[in-house]
Amino acid sequence: MSELGLRLTLSLIQIAVVVAIIIVTVLILTLAERKILGWMQDRMGPMEVGPYGILQPFADAIKLFFKEDIVPAGANKLLFTVAPLLALIPAFIGFAVIPWGPDWTLEINGIVYKPFVISDINIGILYILAFASIGAYGIILGGWASNSKYSLLGGLRSAAQVISYELNVGLAIIGVIILAGSLSLVKITNAQSGWFWHWYLFALPVPQIVAFVVYVISAVAETNRVPFDLPEAESELVAGFFTEYSGLRFAFFYLAEYANMILVSCIAAAMFLGGWNAPYPGTILDRLGLPSLAWIEHTMWFAAKTYFFLFLFFWLRATLPRLRYDQLMRFGWKVMLPIALANIVITSIAVYLFPNA
Amino acid sequence: MNKLKQWLKTITLYEILVGMKTTLGHLLRYRPITLQYPHEKRMLPENYRGMLALLRYDDGTEKCVGCDLCEAACPSRVIRVVSAEVPGEPTKRYAKEYYMDMTRCLFCGMCVDACPVDALGMTREFEWAVYDKRQLHLNKQQLLAIGDRSFPVREKRLELQHPNTAFFNVAFKHMPQKPA
Repeated sequence: MSELGLRLTLSLIQIAVVVAIIIVTVLILTLAERKILGWMQDRMGPMEVGPYGILQPFADAIKLFFKEDIVPAGANKLLFTVAPLLALIPAFIGFAVIPWGPDWTLEINGIVYKPFVISDINIGILYILAFASIGAYGIILGGWASNSKYSLLGGLRSAAQVISYELNVGLAIIGVIILAGSLSLVKITNAQSGWFWHWYLFALPVPQIVAFVVYVISAVAETNRVPFDLPEAESELVAGFFTEYSGLRFAFFYLAEYANMILVSCIAAAMFLGGWNAPYPGTILDRLGLPSLAWIEHTMWFAAKTYFFLFLFFWLRATLPRLRYDQLMRFGWKVMLPIALANIVITSIAVYLFPNA
Repeated sequence: MNKLKQWLKTITLYEILVGMKTTLGHLLRYRPITLQYPHEKRMLPENYRGMLALLRYDDGTEKCVGCDLCEAACPSRVIRVVSAEVPGEPTKRYAKEYYMDMTRCLFCGMCVDACPVDALGMTREFEWAVYDKRQLHLNKQQLLAIGDRSFPVREKRLELQHPNTAFFNVAFKHMPQKPA
């Protein structure tokens, strides 16, 4: 096999595995969200399909696949079709630069190959932010192309909200980037190895706790989740930008929303909580004399951190009511933005004063 | 000082953390109040007013004498009675046809109170959801069938009961009760 062919095969295998993991996670999340929300509200959540309702995601998926695909009268057919894809593809494409496990390299037939990251490009986080912005187009165009006032309002709100809060996400991350001196998520994660106080959440000289809080709040807002779910406020706008969508296209939007949640959680885990690093130096499996299996422990830590954030999303949803539109905007521009900027200034000064801390 | 306290609470997201503690507490002490309805059902109260039914005496004859009082008492005009003479017995009447449009019924129980011979009863049935509204337009046979399955223990014929009750049992609650 030629070198190019081998590279292509290896990458395609990685991509298939990652996409499969994401889709399985989305299936788990749809059930987990309803269950956890139910438990927090003294309900049971879905209980009918399978024992304790664990087969509910499959029932939902089958239902969505076989539902009638309706295009409303007066809708822009092209954009109506393209919008779900515009939302879905950027949500999935960001996972290409997320390091799932340790920064190992394998050598197969003379090709150096990293098994736990699809593509270690040196502008990783910038790449994710760029594609996340394209995801906003899917929502806006979907809202506009539906020829419905609810969809349009949802799309407009989403445009304003995503632009406002993407800024805060980007600014909150800059503190970590200054500390790590790199945009590559692999390098950022590697720099956080060792005890858990080396994670950028607690790391000297400037613990990024403030940036972390700003990031989490802005990430919730950017993924259009409660309490910032104004684009799809079901009590005002039916379902917001995907009111007119049904069947598979609706499933695409749904998948995109959950994939975005996972992506945002992965970034938070990788940038602030040390990614795949355990809270102690090295791994337990390594000490037990199984260094070839240490990657399992690393990936498990990464999954645990990611799932903690996903749980946080559900937890916030069970706790908080929706913000008003002016509150959302004021909070984004007058509170989050100055805090994020101040954090950048303080971090820069501290890094200049203590370059070797 | 108070202002400082307020400010500290704001920047530490104190109120939100209190709320999140409450939701987490409910998650950890999981005691659902959900009733898995088709599998487990609520205890109905003693005086539950469910589906209406026509009753029979213990010898199988209909109680209804076709007096139309239930039709007059009904506030939503659910009931329609077509009264007729009992063939061969000119002194007695019965309901030749008896219709209830249960789509309109509000289960007030006034027809049951109005009936002088206790020919109407309220069962404890409530699962009467149907796909076709016309299935809720019940005739005499259907109403009698509901009564048969809900009241298997029937009363004796009116003539065999205590004469006082048989005569005065209209709406006077202080009248002596029928012997059990």
